[in-house]
Amino acid sequence: MKILGLSAHYHDSAAALVIDGVPVAVVQEERLSRKKNDAAFPLKAIEWCLEQAKLEPEELDAVVFYEKPMLKFERILTSALRAFPKSWSSFPKAMKNSLGEKLWVKGIISSHLGIPGSKIFFTEHHQAHAAAAFLTQPAKRAAILTADGVGEWATLSVGVGEKMDDGRVAIKLLRELHFPHSLGMLYSTFTAFLGFEVNEGEYKVMGLASYGKPEYVDQVRQVISPEKNGAFSLHLDFFDFHTTAKRSYSEKFVQLFGKPRAPHEPLDPTTPEGARYANVAASVQRVLEDTLVEITKSLHEETGESVLCFGGGVALNGVANGRILRESGFSEMYVPCSPGDAGCALGAALYADRIFFKNPHVDFPDHPYWGPSVDPEELAAVASEDGLPIETVASDDALLDRTVDLLASDKIVGWMDGPCELGPRALGNRSILAAPHTVAMKDRLNKEIKYREEFRPFAPAVPIEVAGEYFELPPGGARLGAFMSGVFPVKPEWRDKLAAITHVDGTARVQTVERDKAPKFYALLEKYGKKTGIPILLNTSFNLAGEPIVTRAVEGYSTLRRCGIDVVIAGRYIVSKKPSHAVMPTDGGTS
Amino acid sequence: MTVETTPSREPQDAHKPVRSGDAHLRIVGAAGLDRILRPLHRWVWSDARRRGEKLLKFAQTEADGGRDIARAAERTHDALLRRLYLRHALDEQRHANLFRTRGRAILREVGQKREDGDATFDGNFFSPGERGLDDLQVDEESEGSLLAFLHLSEKAAARRFAVYQEVLEVDPVTRDVFVDVLKDEAFHMNYTLSQLKRVEPKKAGWRLWWARLTRLWKGYLRIASAIANVMGGIVLAVQYFVILPIFALMAKRSAKKELPGWAPARDGGERSLRSQY
Ligand SMILES: [Fe+2]
Ligand SMILES: [Fe+2]
Ligand SMILES: [Fe+2]
Repeated sequence: MKILGLSAHYHDSAAALVIDGVPVAVVQEERLSRKKNDAAFPLKAIEWCLEQAKLEPEELDAVVFYEKPMLKFERILTSALRAFPKSWSSFPKAMKNSLGEKLWVKGIISSHLGIPGSKIFFTEHHQAHAAAAFLTQPAKRAAILTADGVGEWATLSVGVGEKMDDGRVAIKLLRELHFPHSLGMLYSTFTAFLGFEVNEGEYKVMGLASYGKPEYVDQVRQVISPEKNGAFSLHLDFFDFHTTAKRSYSEKFVQLFGKPRAPHEPLDPTTPEGARYANVAASVQRVLEDTLVEITKSLHEETGESVLCFGGGVALNGVANGRILRESGFSEMYVPCSPGDAGCALGAALYADRIFFKNPHVDFPDHPYWGPSVDPEELAAVASEDGLPIETVASDDALLDRTVDLLASDKIVGWMDGPCELGPRALGNRSILAAPHTVAMKDRLNKEIKYREEFRPFAPAVPIEVAGEYFELPPGGARLGAFMSGVFPVKPEWRDKLAAITHVDGTARVQTVERDKAPKFYALLEKYGKKTGIPILLNTSFNLAGEPIVTRAVEGYSTLRRCGIDVVIAGRYIVSKKPSHAVMPTDGGTS
Repeated sequence: MTVETTPSREPQDAHKPVRSGDAHLRIVGAAGLDRILRPLHRWVWSDARRRGEKLLKFAQTEADGGRDIARAAERTHDALLRRLYLRHALDEQRHANLFRTRGRAILREVGQKREDGDATFDGNFFSPGERGLDDLQVDEESEGSLLAFLHLSEKAAARRFAVYQEVLEVDPVTRDVFVDVLKDEAFHMNYTLSQLKRVEPKKAGWRLWWARLTRLWKGYLRIASAIANVMGGIVLAVQYFVILPIFALMAKRSAKKELPGWAPARDGGERSLRSQY
């Protein structure tokens, strides 16, 4: 059976092709359109997915959209009605926004793909999140938690999943919390208050939190209060996201937490003002963690399961994940490589396959590498046209040796290998790699490549077997680290030697690398360990600020040309910058 | 420790372009409408806070523009164009940094931003940034039409920046930023034209006319859709106050009945995947 899953229109749109129960191709639209967080209907992604299987759209058995558009519209309309008359200014905008293609998804799919309406299906948003979390991992049974900003009505749901011996699959969502009571919205509100971009700057809040003390926990508890069984509700007079699109927090919120930070204001946690922002960040982070721990504890008691699958945008909070793993009672925890809405494309396709069409479960490898492959020849071609030094090595082994030499001599390497990752994290196929040892390296990456805030830490990659030697991993921690989903302490004795990846609070967002999932990257780490004594590399996504992670070789090449990366590697080619005396072209034309 | 929220340094290889003196400034002297509107521009740029905020907005559009040009570099099969586009992209990246640094410095001087809803009138219609109101669809254009479009858009920007620089007597530091940026813009305007002539020697003139018409058409569409948008907004707002109150009352009542905390999950039964509700 050939099923295409789609997510679109709100955050990251994506397409996923599942054939006979196994993902064949999954890609976010942004990786092809090159527009960060592209939310447009994912035409390029669809085209690429179909191309991989040499399929025409008519050959698809089903196209599954990741949410119910009408139900979502109902929520938007109802929210506007409930906020009457405060919502008067946002109402026209909300209606114009939803009445367009967002509401007529069926027609749009049908007209773009030329398939009949009878082949078009809709999962609920949190069903897609749940399926993306449960069906992409190996455990036979698990408790499921999903949490995000909002889908249709649900903002958080809990349930259980089971893959039975006869192949049947069950995903039963037990209960849910409804908009506007939302952990994602709570965190986003603080993200906006702290002067970061919503849906983009949430991890900055998490990074900033480490610089502060949770001194505002009591105040945060005034805006969110606990309900029975770990549930919670937001006190709506502190928020405005449900009444207007202009601002997410209300005047009362400002009275409670003080003046919001303007986006352009420099942020220095050593000044009193900066410390207040860091403390506010630490406080909302603490409350988020406490709330998730409460929910997962009671879910653990209720279901008696030992594995927790966690999906939805909130699952990107690695610090909270670390605490859930330590405190909830679950001995294993799994967060998919793309817990956010892009992953819902895959989730929706798998949900339809297993639950609706009742196809038997088929195991598939739980790696993140489902996207377009890199073509090394493309890199060699553009680099040689532009007269950049290209080194060609004879074998993979030689390539790894050469790369290790470069890394050990403090070169910053743009590394492209095989198919690109699904999800927001580069996990060794489209990564910028560097030596993890010094603060100087961290500063250089921040200033010359990432152009970003110092309070956002860089992540380390380490072979899974030895991760525990360098990081304090709770049971299940190594597993959680496969997609950089957990933040764990760096062992004190290693912090000095791992200064580029150790955050101010002594932690790191560890990626544990398995040989069978990423053989080349794993071998690179091993060889680097042999040479330097520490088999760990700094791994950050291969992109510039404001751009999606690179997909094609030529995009890696253009990144090399526009920032402080020293070399780009793909296949057996190592391309380095021209010697610095080289001049950029003036006009070579004919005027 | 100071934690900057954006780059404080230029990229390593953000070479300054080779310059050929003030000839560029002459080429791009303020023209036509902008000359007439100079008093208006002067007024728009006179307020320090507005100036700071505008520069930050410009920084954003320069950075976006830089990304578009980088995209053009990744797409082209013409090695010379790729090199020029890459240099162009670096220029725009540098402009973004210049504008951002200056905008921040101004805003720091004038103090905190006011609360939302009390923003200064920003006069964007009168003084848009480099890409102005043009939007570039790199992936959809052919090489020739992209170059033609870029040429016109850079030319318009260069003229605009020339006017800003002329009306910025009050703030010599910001004026110097524009003087600096303007030299690059002149280069962008020139190379796009000469490359257009190289790439499509026969069609260059036609391409330029077509690009001009397209810009006019897009401008018309923009105005038309803005008007339609306002009208639609009025109709919806009227409906809001005339039709909705009764439903609002019902919605509020039902909201009161809703208990806080968990709700049972909707049944994920078999039929439901066909339904959009
Ligand atoms: Fe979601
Ligand atoms: Fe510019
Ligand atoms: Fe320019």
